[in-house]
Amino acid sequence: MAYINKIILKTFIDGPGSRMAVFMQGCNLRCKYCHNPETWNLCIHCGECVKNCKKGALFFEDGKVKYNKDLCAKCDVCINVCPNNSTPKYEIMSAGDVYKIAYYNKDFLDGITLSGGECTLQYEFILELFKLIKENTKLTTFIDTNGYIEFDILKKLIDVTDGFMFDLKALNSENHIKLTGYDNEKILKNLEYVSKNGLLYEVRTVLVEGFNDSEDEIEKISEYIYKLNSYTKFKLIPFRPLGVKGELSNMESFDKEKFEKCYNISKKILKSRLKD
Amino acid sequence: MNGIIEILSDTKLDYKQKRAALSSFAENSLPYVDISDKARKYMEDGIICNLNEGNAPYRPRYVLPDYKKYFENGSKYLNIKKPSDMYEAVNALLIIYNYVPSITGYPVYLGNIDELLEPYCDSVSERELENLLKMFLINIDRNLPDAFVHANIGPKDTKVGRIILNLEETLKDAVPNLSLKCSKDTPDDFIKLAIKTSLEIGKAYFINHDELVKVLGENYGIASCYNALKIGGGSFTLVRVNLKEVAKISKDYNDFIERVLPDVINCQCEIINERARFIVEKAKFFESSFLAREELININNFTSMAGIFGLYECVEILSGMKMGFDNIAYEMAENIIKRAYELVKEKEGLYCNGYSGKIGFHAQSGIDSDIDVSAGVRIKTGCEPEIFEQIKLEGKLQKYFDTGVSDIYIFDKTAKNNLEGVLTIIKGAFKNGIREMTINTSDSELIRITGYLVKRSDIEKYEKGEPLREGTVALGADSIKNCGILDRKVRGI
Repeated sequence: MAYINKIILKTFIDGPGSRMAVFMQGCNLRCKYCHNPETWNLCIHCGECVKNCKKGALFFEDGKVKYNKDLCAKCDVCINVCPNNSTPKYEIMSAGDVYKIAYYNKDFLDGITLSGGECTLQYEFILELFKLIKENTKLTTFIDTNGYIEFDILKKLIDVTDGFMFDLKALNSENHIKLTGYDNEKILKNLEYVSKNGLLYEVRTVLVEGFNDSEDEIEKISEYIYKLNSYTKFKLIPFRPLGVKGELSNMESFDKEKFEKCYNISKKILKSRLKD
Repeated sequence: MNGIIEILSDTKLDYKQKRAALSSFAENSLPYVDISDKARKYMEDGIICNLNEGNAPYRPRYVLPDYKKYFENGSKYLNIKKPSDMYEAVNALLIIYNYVPSITGYPVYLGNIDELLEPYCDSVSERELENLLKMFLINIDRNLPDAFVHANIGPKDTKVGRIILNLEETLKDAVPNLSLKCSKDTPDDFIKLAIKTSLEIGKAYFINHDELVKVLGENYGIASCYNALKIGGGSFTLVRVNLKEVAKISKDYNDFIERVLPDVINCQCEIINERARFIVEKAKFFESSFLAREELININNFTSMAGIFGLYECVEILSGMKMGFDNIAYEMAENIIKRAYELVKEKEGLYCNGYSGKIGFHAQSGIDSDIDVSAGVRIKTGCEPEIFEQIKLEGKLQKYFDTGVSDIYIFDKTAKNNLEGVLTIIKGAFKNGIREMTINTSDSELIRITGYLVKRSDIEKYEKGEPLREGTVALGADSIKNCGILDRKVRGI
């Protein structure tokens, strides 16, 4: 069983072709710019959301917070008031449950992408789900990860996964610690391993002013990807305050002109491997 | 006489539009073709509608000339020889288009233009080829300013087809309407080019060629909105039934199925046959048309069309449930369509020789005056379920329609960077029974109204009262107001 934050039946931006995306609950990094901090933790049933829900969609049952989808107005007040960076709305589903949804829509899909939170924290679920998908459909299996995974687990996942998308927060270790609270050594090692296996579909970096947007950082990260292999695409994403909590919640969207400058620096190095 | 003065002094109509309106006025000064009182009553009550075809039809509604034959033999009547190069081929087509009759006065079918022109590619340089095709398309848009003017390309990959798709994306003109026939042999990158064009300008239609070949044979064309008809033939008339109104006069579902619907469809077919009779026997169309004389059309390829629309509201009235969200509603919807199909097919279709003496069944896409009633078998705009569910449900209904049915799926702009993904969805739709479909993005300059396209900017001009070349802009502007066209669900991420 796994904690599922949300399933999107059709996405065009989470890997190649038409894909179903499964966003899983729980994360092991604490990125300052995280757009979905409600995916970090599991619910501790404090009830703050129940107090604030005006539609009665949240209530207590046997001391636990329960959620009635039909009454929900999707106002997201529950997420905003949660003191624990969680949400009362995630569901517990089995690999079979998620597989059934993908199978039902298989005619319209190229594949399935697991994302988060950090989906690899629930790697046993992924192994089971991807195995079902591989055995019964032609759908491809992708993982969107921050790369902060134990190497043994990564090796197991590689056996059932067709492609990985890595969020590389920064190449410079200090910048990485400033942004996420963790060093990136393990992440880079994993990324390089996936790259060598021919499975590194895409690397993404969110540009955050003053953290990872120096010319030096952009150049280095682009060169790093350029030298990794000849196939991985790189995507630069401008910071947006939408959904962000904490220190950076009042930061403005990343400046357009500045973004263009960063984009052009990277474009010179990566050419067509830099995505629009 | 007041009507004539009204037409003459209408500042929203230009000269040609006034001339067309005057000719309709003259035609309608005759009594309606000879039909029963009951059929007449259904028309007066808005239960049956003949889509402004006029009281005394003197030409078929849809004519699909065999342009291939025209290229092989030339035309005595037009004094056109068999074309020997691309210049002559383009010229020959632009000439004959002005001689193809229809209800609007503009040809509703321009031919499988890439297949027709491809053999002449070697007669000109690359640059000339592109220039000629550009002038060809601009000429069609300016001289045949009616969004029901419809060109076909595919299913074979062609240089001409690719150039046309690229040109269309840059020209951004509403005319011609365009369909790409997609078969299992059509290369993916040809379809992807059409997807790219579609996400910018809302055309082409994607046609499930393999499926339509099973119904109509290889020799079919897509005309007007999305009507699938035999080449060298066409349809005498299209008379439609408003299922919402039929539901309103039924006591309950059983009464609808057993008593009211059969009675209405009986009258619909009566009207259809009388109109066909009038065209053939009274107006003697086939005796006066050079297209018939030169065998570019043949009565043996013709049919008539029985249309239905308003299924969504019909089901809502009869069951209190909504198509797309309740399984029972959907079962009911399919039963209604199956029943209507069978009722139409029970009748003899006069002169419907192209369909073995049967009338074609059509999901009519609605017109400007339709208020609070959905096109064909489509789910009400704004109430569509999740896209894959919508496609599956629509796919189950589309199989009943042998002369045209379609749905429109609106994507958000992320689709533009993922043509592969859209291709998968289109192929999935075909696999699930979809015969004809179109896609668009919510920010497109061209808006697909029901089956045809209009420019957003032209609608604004129309609202200000400026005269415009295209009569379909007026239809489009009124449809947007009356039918909630812009409320269609956007398929986002």
